[in-house]
Amino acid sequence: MTLLHFQLLAAALFSLGLYGVLARRNAVLVLMGVELMLNAVNVNLVAFAAYRDIPIATGQVIAIFIITLAAAEVGLALAVVLRLFRSRGTADVDAIRGMRG
Amino acid sequence: MENAWLIPLFPLGAFVALALFRRFLPGQGKWLAVAAVIAAFLAAWPVLFDLVGRGVGPYHFPREWFSAGPLFMGWGTLVDPLTVAMLLLVTFVSVLVQVYSLGYMRHEVKGRRGSHVADDPRIGWYYAAHSLFTASMLTLVLADNLILLYVAWELVGLCSYLLIGFWYERPSAVGAAKKAFITTRIGDVGLLIGIALLVAHTGTFDISANLEMVEHGELSSGITTLVALLLFAGAVGKSAQFPLFVWLPDAMEGPTPVSALIHAATMVTAGVFLVARLLPLYEASEAARLTVASVGLLSGLMGASMALAATDLKRILAFSTMSHLGFMFLALGAGGYTAATFHLLTHGVSKAMLFLAAGSVMHALHDETDIRRMGGLARRMPVTGTAFVLGALALSGVPPLAAFWSKDEILVAVANGLNPVFLVGFLIAIVLSALYMARAVRVALFGEHRADAAHAHESGWVMKGPLALLAVCTVLVGLVALPLGFDGVGSFLFDAAHGPHSFKADPVWMPVGIVLALAGLGLGWWLYDRAPGRVEALRSRFGALARLLENRYYLDPAYQWLVDRVVLAAGRVIAAFDRRWVNDVGMDGPGVATLAVGTRLRMHVSGFFADYGLAVAAGAVALALLLWLGA
Amino acid sequence: MSYFERHVLESLIYLPMLTALVLVFLPAKGRALIRTVGIASGALALVGSLYAFLAYDEAVGGFQLVRVYPWFAGLGIDFRLGVDGIAALMVLLTGIVTFAGAVVAANRDEDPKAYYVLLNLLVAGVYGTFVSTDLFFFFFFYELAIVPMYLLIAIWGSSSVFPTFSRTKEYAALKLVLMIVAASVLVWIGIIAIYVQADAGTFDIAVLAQAAADGRLDAGFQRWVFPLVMVGFGLLAGMWPFHTWSPDGHVSAPTSVSMLHAGVLMKLGAFGIIRVGMQLLPQGMDDWSLVLFIIGTINVVYGAVSALAQTDLKYVIGYSSVSHMGYVLMGLGTLDSVGFTGASLQMFSHGVMTALFFTLVGAIYERSHTRDSLVLNGLASRMGWASGLFILAGLASLGLPGLSGFVAEVLVFIGAFRTEPVLGAIGIAGAAITAVYILRLVGRVFFGTPDKQWDNLRDLNLREGIAAATLVVPVVAVGIFPAPFLDVLRPGVAAVLAGIGG
Repeated sequence: MTLLHFQLLAAALFSLGLYGVLARRNAVLVLMGVELMLNAVNVNLVAFAAYRDIPIATGQVIAIFIITLAAAEVGLALAVVLRLFRSRGTADVDAIRGMRG
Repeated sequence: MENAWLIPLFPLGAFVALALFRRFLPGQGKWLAVAAVIAAFLAAWPVLFDLVGRGVGPYHFPREWFSAGPLFMGWGTLVDPLTVAMLLLVTFVSVLVQVYSLGYMRHEVKGRRGSHVADDPRIGWYYAAHSLFTASMLTLVLADNLILLYVAWELVGLCSYLLIGFWYERPSAVGAAKKAFITTRIGDVGLLIGIALLVAHTGTFDISANLEMVEHGELSSGITTLVALLLFAGAVGKSAQFPLFVWLPDAMEGPTPVSALIHAATMVTAGVFLVARLLPLYEASEAARLTVASVGLLSGLMGASMALAATDLKRILAFSTMSHLGFMFLALGAGGYTAATFHLLTHGVSKAMLFLAAGSVMHALHDETDIRRMGGLARRMPVTGTAFVLGALALSGVPPLAAFWSKDEILVAVANGLNPVFLVGFLIAIVLSALYMARAVRVALFGEHRADAAHAHESGWVMKGPLALLAVCTVLVGLVALPLGFDGVGSFLFDAAHGPHSFKADPVWMPVGIVLALAGLGLGWWLYDRAPGRVEALRSRFGALARLLENRYYLDPAYQWLVDRVVLAAGRVIAAFDRRWVNDVGMDGPGVATLAVGTRLRMHVSGFFADYGLAVAAGAVALALLLWLGA
Repeated sequence: MSYFERHVLESLIYLPMLTALVLVFLPAKGRALIRTVGIASGALALVGSLYAFLAYDEAVGGFQLVRVYPWFAGLGIDFRLGVDGIAALMVLLTGIVTFAGAVVAANRDEDPKAYYVLLNLLVAGVYGTFVSTDLFFFFFFYELAIVPMYLLIAIWGSSSVFPTFSRTKEYAALKLVLMIVAASVLVWIGIIAIYVQADAGTFDIAVLAQAAADGRLDAGFQRWVFPLVMVGFGLLAGMWPFHTWSPDGHVSAPTSVSMLHAGVLMKLGAFGIIRVGMQLLPQGMDDWSLVLFIIGTINVVYGAVSALAQTDLKYVIGYSSVSHMGYVLMGLGTLDSVGFTGASLQMFSHGVMTALFFTLVGAIYERSHTRDSLVLNGLASRMGWASGLFILAGLASLGLPGLSGFVAEVLVFIGAFRTEPVLGAIGIAGAAITAVYILRLVGRVFFGTPDKQWDNLRDLNLREGIAAATLVVPVVAVGIFPAPFLDVLRPGVAAVLAGIGG
């Protein structure tokens, strides 16, 4: 297993996540895409930290930060989605065009 | 003499008291005003005696008012014979007019409300404005510097505005007041520019110092001429000369005693006073001198000719004033300082009397002013009639009445000082003066009774008294010109440049003057004797001329056109320009443009969540490529 | 220095701020209490201003009543207070107009609490600008004075429909604030540029002026910075062609805001030109003075001619303000001691005169619900005091001797003739046009026989009477005894002109 394998895995995960974010219409699935992308980054961080000689485990620490932030983000985002669903009766992101110019 | 500055304080104090507390004073304070002006009149005499005792001066008492930068503005006084003569004239006429108003302003209410005899409801304000008028004019004649003179000058204009528009419920009175103020103000623009220009070059407002510099030739001749002409513009407006006389006939909208005050003492004389005071400035510039003389002669002729066509008694007198002021300017232009100032005094006395007599007539006829509806008044109103006839004869130049002497002086001055064209013009004007006076007297006072005039009655003593006093003065004042006891008025009213000047009977011009005056009177009497036959014949011969005169040389419509079509139109154009272009395009324009650009730009913002994500992703890829290629 | 002398200037800033704070905690329903507090604060401000004005010793000159509180040493920003002769007169003006405005504001019924809070913030800003001698705080207070204006006009203003166009209060408020803020960006650029270029590490105006005198702000620098300052401050002074916010703002603003706006706020602009433009950029002022002079003359004539065509009372007064502020700009442009003195006095004179105008127009509008001079007529028979005072203000406006306008204008004219006679002559002609529009207005609105519909108009009430009396006194006092006012101005004017070398 070389660094390249981990990078390929991370790239694949990121692309999957990006596809999910861009192509899915259900807000919950969009959020899952975001989670995938975040975790792809985590994989990268940890892999670099392991293969390169980086002191005091910087990569792992940042990865833990991201996991924490991602948890908070998902909590907040799900709450927003829930409110949207309550008020609009749908979780379809295309139906919510409040930001249209 | 040092305390001459106190004289204007009497009426000024009365003004302040009446303006603030008239509601609490008995008779709204009118007695206070009359008492104050009598006090001012009495206070003027010691100045005269002091001046005679000390020699003619001038005496200068500077006092600081305020200063800014290097300039010093004062409220000092300059006392010379001209000042004293004006002080006496102004206070004398003011006293008589205020006393007369005690009766006149009672009558007015009865005339308008029909029920009872009472003071005008705003009598206190009337007397307050009167007092301020007198105070301003006294300040004007005492001023030792141009800024104080201008202050008083403007206050005189304000008072004329307040008094001409005294009956402000009448639109015509408001219009007349506005016209008087704005017309004179146009002249004042010239005056103020002149003062500012002069001061910018000499560095002082002081009149004597300025005149000294002019006499010593410290100003270039171009500036001297320009300043003299600009200052003269102010005099033209105030003294109702051509081409700014249009306010004068309309000013008759004010109460008649006010007209007497304006015409005899406080307003129109200010212009003549100004030029007389600054005469060295005019003598230093041939062009300015000739302009003064020309405007004077032209106004003399125009005024006299318009008086001939007017049918309103007060307007006839108003045009007569314009004409006589023209004579004074003519005399000043001819260098006849004594003649002009002497005529100022004699004319003031006679004209005050004529206006008060006219007021008495209106009083009797319920504000009727059209001479064609009068007639036969002399028999019903003997005092008024006598006074009017005396005034008319005096102003026509019949000896030995007051204005005869001064008119003769002017004639001599013009004959000696100017070219013959002016002399011929003045001789014509003398005939015209006599002619219109004869017409007014013949039509209004004699002839058969008109229906309206049948129940005319003589006025009360407060109105007859001043008339009688003025009549006596009209007979006697002229005699001071004669060298009886002292050297005559000429030795008193001389100007420093020309030295004393005593009255001499000119063997040629005195008889000529008398003959022309009598000829004019006779012609007038004959023409209007059997009205309207002879006049109608003339009118049909010279229809165009008659219409020209009746329409006052069409200057009113010309100015009206200028105001409506040029000034106000410019105002509307500028206002519209301001709104459409400066505001809507210049100021709102950038805002509108920003909004428009924003509207276009927002079109690509779809609101689809995926669009934003795609854009972010594309951006990231592009950035990565850029870094990769760059590295 | 006595205790009062040490603290009077800062008190003038803190007093309205404190009043605003107190008002916030008062119950909104206690209107009588709120009004009492508002008026009392105004009265205290007047007393304090009068004290500051009288405490200024003209024989000593320079900046007086000086206080320095260190604030932010890193950038050289200190809370510096002090007045020179010109500022002392402006402080007095602010006190007079503030008191009159606070009294008039008590006539309003809608939400007096918020209104007084904002009004007091505005006043704090105005005082702060006049007494700050630190460029940073000068600008800070300058901005503080502008922001409440938006809310005051947008909430309590009035929208008007005219035959050819209409003006909503929101439009007027937005335009006013956007234009002034845009202009203050220019000013801010200028201030930062001066700070950096002088490299003195301080915002102290005295130090910066010294730097300019020592030649550390070179001529080229001053030549391009001065126009920024001139236009930036000039806009607030109603400088043509950036004046259009002013008449529209007046038309939409409530009475007491109009009073403060025209009476004091526009003076901030002219004062800024003096403080920053003339004191810190003397060379630039010298280069651009003729331009300022010409623009001032345009203001005079353009404003007067525009006023001729107006029928709304507030538009007439608004454009007359544009015209009268032109005299101030003219006077500054002369760089002549007489003209500059006249300009400073005109700032004071115009302030009290215009505030008086707006007091009376407001009184007429509240009763008749119209400001159309074609509809109003014969008011002199119905509202004697209001009419008399309006005519008095009108006469002051057209430069009648014995009233404040004359002394100021005649000084400006003399100054103009000492430098550019032609422009001076045009200015005097503008004064004649003023007579035309004032007298036309007075004739139409106050004289003649009143219509039936005006039968029930009441004359001024006590509050309006007090406000008007407060404003009439200085109008007459300056007209008759200008010497005390000119004495205070003299050292300030001399110091500024000495810096320019004139």
